[in-house]
Amino acid sequence: MGKLRAFVDVHDCLSCGGCVSICPVDAIIMNNKVAVVLPEKCISCEQCVNTCPVGAISMEEK
Amino acid sequence: MKYDTVIVGAGPAGSVTARFAAEAGAKVLLIDRRPEIGIPVLCGEGISQRIDKWNMLEGSDWIATKMDGAKIYAPDDTMVTLSKEMAGNETGYVVYRDRFDKELARQAGKAGAEILLKTEAVDLLKKKDKITGIKVNQFGEEFDIEADLVVGCDGVESKVGKWAGINTMVKPIDLETCFQYTLENVDWPEDYCEFYLGKKRAPGGYVWVFPKGNGEFNVGIGVLASLSSPGKPKALLDQFIANHPNLKKGSPIRMLTGAVSVAKPVETVKDNLLLVGDAARHADAITGGGLTTSLEGGKIAGEVIGDAIENQQFDSDFLEVYEKRWKQAFGQKLLRNYLVKEILLDMDDKTLNMLADSLKDYKFEEFSTLSLVKALVLKHPTLLMKLKPLMKLSEKSKGKDE
Repeated sequence: MGKLRAFVDVHDCLSCGGCVSICPVDAIIMNNKVAVVLPEKCISCEQCVNTCPVGAISMEEK
Repeated sequence: MKYDTVIVGAGPAGSVTARFAAEAGAKVLLIDRRPEIGIPVLCGEGISQRIDKWNMLEGSDWIATKMDGAKIYAPDDTMVTLSKEMAGNETGYVVYRDRFDKELARQAGKAGAEILLKTEAVDLLKKKDKITGIKVNQFGEEFDIEADLVVGCDGVESKVGKWAGINTMVKPIDLETCFQYTLENVDWPEDYCEFYLGKKRAPGGYVWVFPKGNGEFNVGIGVLASLSSPGKPKALLDQFIANHPNLKKGSPIRMLTGAVSVAKPVETVKDNLLLVGDAARHADAITGGGLTTSLEGGKIAGEVIGDAIENQQFDSDFLEVYEKRWKQAFGQKLLRNYLVKEILLDMDDKTLNMLADSLKDYKFEEFSTLSLVKALVLKHPTLLMKLKPLMKLSEKSKGKDE
């Protein structure tokens, strides 16, 4: 069982960068107009999950 | 490539900084990671009419409409009105942010600034800890741009500030997560901007309805990130529109998301580096508005850059005057409104209803948050205890405050 990490659904992301702003450990970058979580940096705090205005981020096993 | 200054981000803060630095004689490069300035729009598109005095934008194609006033709805729909008649006729504009941003960039170019699009800053260039420019990526190719001064105008998620060692972390209590539709075909003659408060409608934020003329409306919501949950802003806004007799018949032509800082300003000066606009958290914590402060701060930054280049001094001791000047211009206001935000967040809906009820016939002297805060204090001396530090601030900043 892997740990839960934030995961961005590329189809739902509207690239506002809110999750990039809120991430306390710089684990989210904008790549090609889509937010991407760097799983090795993610500390599973879920702040980005709650911040996403369209619910495009969820916690998944990595 | 060597420039006097390289400015990262061609939003309003970046373009205005570039313009005034170029006008002061600096060799300026303005870069943006996007292929088109002003796109995507990430904004409610409302701005105070104070910008008229600054003459920073020519023409009028960036203006959608002039506001006739504002209506603020308490949770129980008690309405407080700020009309242009009450506010000495000066209110605000609803703008087309894409055209607005392009006009400011055009002015920067006209003043002599060079502009590079689709060029993303990926790191600071440093020689023995000293900032000497930036490393960029353009169409997959990395190269260095040398400059005596780097200016971060790269928004709420500023990386330039972070790279320079400035603590730019935003806490969930200091960020509004936003969602907005632009609706067409709304058959409704409303020409006031509307703001709807309430814990159920928009926890820690508000719903805005901004008319753009000819049946076009920006309808958006900001929810405090600490009070939000996945997808909440969109769900609440959809519900608001579905329950609105006029807006529910509109046709959506644009959907956008965004994050708005309602934080205190951060450190804005380092050796060889400045932060301007949202990157500096120069946004009003009550409204989330950051356009006027970006323009004002950009002008100050541009002028200070001109002086720095004339004197060939780029250390923080010299650049400190930028921080001093923006604090003088709008620092008090930002701090006061941050404190008001904290007080408002503590209030329950019942208290907000009571406050709105006491202000519903009030004649406001101007179209501003300061005017609202003043009225609240006048009507509710019992609140004075809590608001005391704020009023001290606003007395000090009399005359130059918004």
